[in-house]
Amino acid sequence: MASNEPVPSPAQGVGPIGQPDGEKPTATVSKEVSYENVHVLAQTPQLIALLTMIRDKRTARADFIFYSNRIIRLLVEEGLNHLPVVEQSVTTPVGRAYLGVKFEGKICGVSIMRAGEAMEQGLRDCCRSVRIGKILIQRDEETCMPKLFYEKLPADIADRWVLLLDPMFATGGSATLAVEVLKQKGVPEHRILFLNLIASPSGVAEFAERFPKLRVVTAFIDQGLDDKKYIIPGLGDFGDRYYTL
Amino acid sequence: MESTSPFYSLVPEVKYSPPWQDLSIIGIAGSSGSGKTSVAMEIVKSLNLPWVVILVMDSFYKTLTPEEHAKAHANEYDFDCPESIDFDLLVDTLKDLKQGKKAHIPVYSFADHQRQTQTTTLYSPRVLILEGILALHDPRILNLLDVKIFVEADMDVCLGRRVLRDVRERGRDIEGIIKQWFAFVKPSFTRFVEPQRQISDIIIPRGIENTTAIDMVVKHIQRKLQDKSEKHTKALRKLGLLAAKVELPANVHIMPTTPQFVGMNTVLQDPATEHVDFVFYFDRLASILIEKALDMTTYVQATVETTNGNKYMGLSPKGSVSAVAILRGGSCLETALKRTIPDCITGRLLIQTDESSAEPELHYLKLPPQLEEHSMVMLLDPQMASGGAALMAVRVLVDHGVSEERIVFVTCAAGETGIKRLVAVFPNINVIVGRIEADGEPRWMEKRYFGC
Repeated sequence: MASNEPVPSPAQGVGPIGQPDGEKPTATVSKEVSYENVHVLAQTPQLIALLTMIRDKRTARADFIFYSNRIIRLLVEEGLNHLPVVEQSVTTPVGRAYLGVKFEGKICGVSIMRAGEAMEQGLRDCCRSVRIGKILIQRDEETCMPKLFYEKLPADIADRWVLLLDPMFATGGSATLAVEVLKQKGVPEHRILFLNLIASPSGVAEFAERFPKLRVVTAFIDQGLDDKKYIIPGLGDFGDRYYTL
Repeated sequence: MESTSPFYSLVPEVKYSPPWQDLSIIGIAGSSGSGKTSVAMEIVKSLNLPWVVILVMDSFYKTLTPEEHAKAHANEYDFDCPESIDFDLLVDTLKDLKQGKKAHIPVYSFADHQRQTQTTTLYSPRVLILEGILALHDPRILNLLDVKIFVEADMDVCLGRRVLRDVRERGRDIEGIIKQWFAFVKPSFTRFVEPQRQISDIIIPRGIENTTAIDMVVKHIQRKLQDKSEKHTKALRKLGLLAAKVELPANVHIMPTTPQFVGMNTVLQDPATEHVDFVFYFDRLASILIEKALDMTTYVQATVETTNGNKYMGLSPKGSVSAVAILRGGSCLETALKRTIPDCITGRLLIQTDESSAEPELHYLKLPPQLEEHSMVMLLDPQMASGGAALMAVRVLVDHGVSEERIVFVTCAAGETGIKRLVAVFPNINVIVGRIEADGEPRWMEKRYFGC
């Protein structure tokens, strides 16, 4: 199938926290990468089960949407943890002092059309009135390279933290172009967080080296790419699964 | 049990018997028409406690054979002798209730003189009043009673009342009533009912009119309840002291203090936070707790194929997951629950903590069927202070056959002593805690969430 047979992904026992290792069911978990700016969600049995659900071709579209939204919320929660906070103390309703933190900095989402737009709902679930910009990137028929067709971004995007949304991170061609667009608009690299559900090891590696200050948050790093540059095993075309299939 | 961690072996005999396992049963006997029911109602009213139940012995009439049935219609069947009552079933029912178990009360139809197929489920109440002409007849029942009351009235008054009631409420004719009275009710009174007078603790002459006597009875019950409540508080305190010495075990999962999680907790605890924001952040935080709880359920290996024909070896949850909300607070967590499992099977139980005694009281219980077969049952409560309500809720689930390992208690904030108490008694349950708060923090989150 693939020209260069991908390295198999690690399999390990994934089960409830209290369960002894020997009794845990075995599942394929995310590959590990050693880039400091790449953050893979904890491979909990719950996350693996959600990913299994959206990878399964028998999963109906309504369920696909529901379960991918749940993963997206976990991604957004993890992504938001990389935003700065400042200490803040409050006096609680029962009169105690609590030393907490306050969220600092404005954020916005930028979705790479069309699949990235599927992640907007999950983002809004966590950040109610978040502004969302859009970027349309298509493959240029003549050059076979990704080409920017359209962008509409908040005017003050340079002052914001950007959560870049694209569910499937294969070669990273579109994402690379999207980051270039954002940088041109004045967004510093370190204020960009790229959220995706499933990534390829090569895509992650190239991206991490090209943009060392940008943070990637993913739920799973898969085995590799096939000769059509689709992620293996992946889940097929995310946009199709979410919007039409 | 395997999972009893070593340091628990240092704790000798950690046992908790919830207050409702120490049910008080009051028996009220007396002649037909003596006013037993009115006295029972008056006691309930004066006690002014939630969760007091009157159990009428009529529910335990034996089902009649066709011949007996015919006799009954001709007013020739003796409903006043001990043989007409299924005492064995009554004794078993009372024993179950006394042990804190639920009981199925038969429903008796007077029209058909038959037990109906359906039963009423009764969960052990705080106080149970057993009322019937022969409530003090069976020695096995006497052993279970805390107070034995005999209501006395002049026989003429009794007959008068019975005639009025049966004509008005049961559509019977006077001749039939009189026939039954002299054939069965009166002889039975002399043989079985009146002798109960001797073994009663309190005799209430003139029934409902006798406010002094009723007042005495109520005071007596209140004193007994007070004693039990003090014992319970002491036991809880002892549990706390025992538990204080141990570390939180591995089955208590406290959420990591990530910036977002702490940030959300800050928003929630800030009284200046607008109500809409409170609800939004509460739901968001609770969703994270529910997601975490779902790690505790059972998963099995599942290999699936993607739309482009690749195989993935993943996991699939096994069995159903359900939730039981501890009302009222627990229902705050239901929005988050539904965000995660939209059609989650949900039970509810209402536990109110008595402000004065800090004693939890079970007011309402509605659990899904086959709960014991579910692979995980989440217990939802936004806040846990002393752990009293949590102990009670887990106890209720265990009483309903749910094994400890399958119970996951989910709370946004809890005091350390409360958690330790809970896991000292139930070492095999999992606990998900959003934030450790000071011991004995009053419950305020649900007030903020519901806005009242």
